[in-house]
Amino acid sequence: MRLVGDRRVFTVEDVTARLSGMFEGLKSFWVEAEVQDLRPARTQMRFTLRGEHVLDASMNGIVFDRLPHRPANGTLVQAYGRIEFWRQRGQISMRVEKLELAGEGLLRARVDELRARLEGEGLLDPGRKRRPPMLPRRIGLVTSPDGAARDDVLTTLWARFPGADVVLVSVPVQGDAAPGLIVRALRHLDRRPDVDVIVVARGGGSLEDLMAFNSETVCRAVAAAATPVVSAVGHERDVTVCDLVADVRVSTPTAAAAVVVPSLEAVEARLDDASLAIRRGLERAGAAAGRAVERRADALVRALRGSGALGRDRVDRLAPRLTSALRRVGATAPAELAVRREALRRAAGLRAEAAAGRLERSAGLLGLLSPERTLARGYAIVRDGGSGAVIASAEGVEAGRSLVIGMRDGRIAARAEEPSP
Amino acid sequence: MTDARPPAGGDEPVTFEEALRRLDEVVSRLESGEVGLEEAVALFERGQGYLAACRERLGAAQRRIEELTAEDLPPEPGGGAQEPPAPF
Repeated sequence: MRLVGDRRVFTVEDVTARLSGMFEGLKSFWVEAEVQDLRPARTQMRFTLRGEHVLDASMNGIVFDRLPHRPANGTLVQAYGRIEFWRQRGQISMRVEKLELAGEGLLRARVDELRARLEGEGLLDPGRKRRPPMLPRRIGLVTSPDGAARDDVLTTLWARFPGADVVLVSVPVQGDAAPGLIVRALRHLDRRPDVDVIVVARGGGSLEDLMAFNSETVCRAVAAAATPVVSAVGHERDVTVCDLVADVRVSTPTAAAAVVVPSLEAVEARLDDASLAIRRGLERAGAAAGRAVERRADALVRALRGSGALGRDRVDRLAPRLTSALRRVGATAPAELAVRREALRRAAGLRAEAAAGRLERSAGLLGLLSPERTLARGYAIVRDGGSGAVIASAEGVEAGRSLVIGMRDGRIAARAEEPSP
Repeated sequence: MTDARPPAGGDEPVTFEEALRRLDEVVSRLESGEVGLEEAVALFERGQGYLAACRERLGAAQRRIEELTAEDLPPEPGGGAQEPPAPF
């Protein structure tokens, strides 16, 4: 400061030094604002904190880089620090020491943190997921008392499977009391032995609305439930941690119904198809066995005909009766068929054996009666020398007729001398 | 997975889907065309049993609803309704 006439004139440095003194000893505080105009400047990260007015701010660049959740332009934050005066520029600026996300960003960061933690514990593993039973005895449903989600789930459930049996627990699904009550509802349903699947349903909403389903207690209760849990929370894009730890995640009430009950129509059609298929299968097997029996019956008839044990016309009369009797057996008592078939096979075998025996004996007799055997015993056959006809009687054989005498080992030409009857 | 032999004792399917699964096995075994008459008859009888079990379970399902509110819930031991503090 110097005096020019009666005027006191200060240097800029005098002023900034004075101002600097005024800002000394200010306490640190938290301020909530939106981050704007982020720009690195040497060792600092400089930015603007914007409410309706703006405040210049800076943070140590290394500290900023190490923040667990670094804000971007537009992010709502809570910043902790104090006001400093920059003498060189004559500006005030907030010297930020801590910077945390606020509002939606804070919620999102919490969700991410919980998700990472539960994932680290293996609670999100696909291997933990259980498939709900196809046809539950009772369905536990946790939803808000007045929610459209409740009506949607019930309507679609009953449309798909009219016999669905529901235990519904209505609890608030948002607000401070929601997580605790949802946990109690879950535990209650999980303890009931007749409840085979639990559905947690809630319509879509903002991240804040859905926070109960991102709370650690609810997520842990879902993971710990012995009963399979279906999470039908929010819409397609609103993925909650509850969705991730649940056994099945769906985004519509219709999809929830499709997971917990079978379509009655489809399952009845399937049973009808199966009924038809097993009947056809049996018929096919019966027909195949019938064909096998007929083949054997034919073979049997052929064997009987061939053996000559029965008269040909008797076999012809018996054959159709035999075949139709076998067919009746096939149609009325298929299980007995194998037994009968075996008996028939044995009977046919015996028959054929007997016939063969008889045949052999006949051959023996025939052999005994054969002319060769007669000649062997010393008899001779006399034939006409011209025609070769056997001459069995002396009558009509005139003297001088030429004859051939057949012997065991050859023939002799002879002439009749004097026939005498 | 199992071959279709006549059922041993205590072979009753416990759940609807188990009965349905076994029914499917019976159907595919019968449809394979590789079964003799005796086995076909046994399969048919088993299949009828599974069908009856499935239909019985479907028929037993009655539309019901039991409604509870927070007040009806039994209190949690240790009053565990409090949300723990946020991790940061």
